[in-house]
Amino acid sequence: MAEFRFLGYLSEIAGAQIRQIPLEKPTRLRDILAPPFPEKNIIFLIDQKVGNLDSIIEDNNSVVIMPILSGG
Amino acid sequence: MKGYSGGLLRINLSERKVSREDISEEMQLDFLGGRGFAVKLLWDEVRRVDPFSEENKVIFSTGPLTGQAIPNSGKMVIASKSPLTGGYGDGNIGTMASLHLRKAGYDVLVIEGKSEEPCYLIIEDDKVSILNAQTLWGKSTFEVQDILEEKHGKNIGILLIGKGGENLVRFATVISQKGRAGGRPGIGAVIGSKKLKAVVIKGSGTIPNFDNNKLKELAKKGYSEIKEKKSYDFWIRQGTMQAVDWCNENACLPTYNFREGVFDFYKELNGETLERIKIGRRGCPMCNMQCGNIVNDWNNRPSELDYENVGMLGSNLGMKDLRQVAVLNRMADELGLDTISLGSCLGFAMEASERGLIPEKIGWGDFQKIQNLIVDTANQEGLGKVISQGVRAASEVVGKDSYRWAMHVKGLEISAYNCHVNPAMALSYATCPVGAAHKDAWIIGWEISTDRFSYGKEKVEKLIELQRVRGGILECLTICRLPFVELDFGYHKIPEYMEAITGNRFDWDDSCKKIGDRVYNLIRCYWIRENSQFNRKWDYPPDRWFDEPQSQGKLKGITLDREKYNQMLSWYYELRGWNQNGIPTEETLINIGLRKVFQEMMNQNG
Repeated sequence: MAEFRFLGYLSEIAGAQIRQIPLEKPTRLRDILAPPFPEKNIIFLIDQKVGNLDSIIEDNNSVVIMPILSGG
Repeated sequence: MKGYSGGLLRINLSERKVSREDISEEMQLDFLGGRGFAVKLLWDEVRRVDPFSEENKVIFSTGPLTGQAIPNSGKMVIASKSPLTGGYGDGNIGTMASLHLRKAGYDVLVIEGKSEEPCYLIIEDDKVSILNAQTLWGKSTFEVQDILEEKHGKNIGILLIGKGGENLVRFATVISQKGRAGGRPGIGAVIGSKKLKAVVIKGSGTIPNFDNNKLKELAKKGYSEIKEKKSYDFWIRQGTMQAVDWCNENACLPTYNFREGVFDFYKELNGETLERIKIGRRGCPMCNMQCGNIVNDWNNRPSELDYENVGMLGSNLGMKDLRQVAVLNRMADELGLDTISLGSCLGFAMEASERGLIPEKIGWGDFQKIQNLIVDTANQEGLGKVISQGVRAASEVVGKDSYRWAMHVKGLEISAYNCHVNPAMALSYATCPVGAAHKDAWIIGWEISTDRFSYGKEKVEKLIELQRVRGGILECLTICRLPFVELDFGYHKIPEYMEAITGNRFDWDDSCKKIGDRVYNLIRCYWIRENSQFNRKWDYPPDRWFDEPQSQGKLKGITLDREKYNQMLSWYYELRGWNQNGIPTEETLINIGLRKVFQEMMNQNG
């Protein structure tokens, strides 16, 4: 089971703050998220390492997807 | 030049003298406005003086975009020689006063001298009066806002100080419209030292633009574009408060005086909690993405929250209830205290108490004792008197190794991002021209999106690029950064606005580099001229980030690497054209038209 956590407005696009998805085989992140998922000014962390929509996600990965903010 | 009101209004409170001067086209081209005008005036007119002396001046400065009917143009810069840092100090504030100053026919207001008795100013176009403020002195900023509105009318520009400014708290700020604040490095205290309680501005004119029809068309398009952004609705609901979750996730939420980057109770303070208790929004004029979230506080009174004040008065103090944090925030606004510095000073006092370095007992999250200490700070009493001087001075009083966890750079308290594992953000704080403010280059988002653990030269290059744009150009134009950086509202809009306003071509890249660098270098020279002991050590963040790792969260056990940070700082100096003590070289200053500045800086400093 791969875990996906979405922060800020991205949780509304994804329809949840946390989703757990079973992956039968390694899959591109782009193919997991419902299109059109924003790509610009987004941080993708896969097991704490920086990734992108073309990163390959495996069944045990933890993925955090968040906007780049500017601070208060 | 078109787009400028063209006037500088100078008011000397000692002599009770008012004069109007023209701002030259050369000044407009070289320094643009806002921060650029402010540092040029301070460089020329405020040399090696005590910040609380009659010779210090307060500059209220706008730019060509200020007060125009375009998105996010309601800001002004307030600057002075800082009593908190001893260097150049400024902050920006979104207020109706920005619009009214421009409509009254001025781009800049300079206050100098000192009044013998409390006074306030009313500026109605070319009519200026200095009025008695004896009955206003000692009153809260909220109360005086109401009194002055009642007397002079609503929807006018009002800038105020509270008790903090009156009592010379070194991080006293300027307040407007019950919650807008600006001038973090103690500009409110400088105003207090001049016995000036408030400035009221009513302008009735128009700004002479080159092409108003074109500007109107661009503005309409701009406002619509902002509203159509995917993140707009969420922004309207939470504004900067969404950063609580973001910072906790990335282990950079200031917690227990920046000891930790994650807070067990962050959900009690986050954007979702805000949404449950929110009763309205406030913000700057001309803005359609207002970021001030109004909640009813623990005492059922309105308080305007954003991320910085919740980070610093919330998790940094171990506070677990947003409505209680809202009380502390409202107290700060009423007293005219900067919430960031206040949160840092309170956190420092609580850690000193925990370590047994002071006799007072004040535990993390102790709501009542924190409120008492805030009042004592504004009144300069007891422990409050110690922290009212800022965390750098407080650590000198407390002694032992407390300087290691006094969280400041150059005397200005660090805003709400913990940088144990963010070397570029740490460098951003350390090289920010007013001390540790986040607004000049909020590089942490970019850094986490690339590689937060690395110390490469590309990070230093990116930092300078951001400083040129945000600390350089946006602060000179006095336009808010949030639509550009939060909603991806492209920077290409600015040259379009500038061309409609001034009639001149505005080259974005060239302006960022030339004007941005000129302003940054002149500010750096100001620090050096005013502080003969200035050296490389002034560009370091506190020891805590190098030596004391976080004990919780995913970044547990990691700190900044001192040697690698030092290398980044060397690259920074090299790329800026500064020597390895952080001093601009003669060649660098000549290249940006500041030849005479070098000689004066070296004469005064040497």
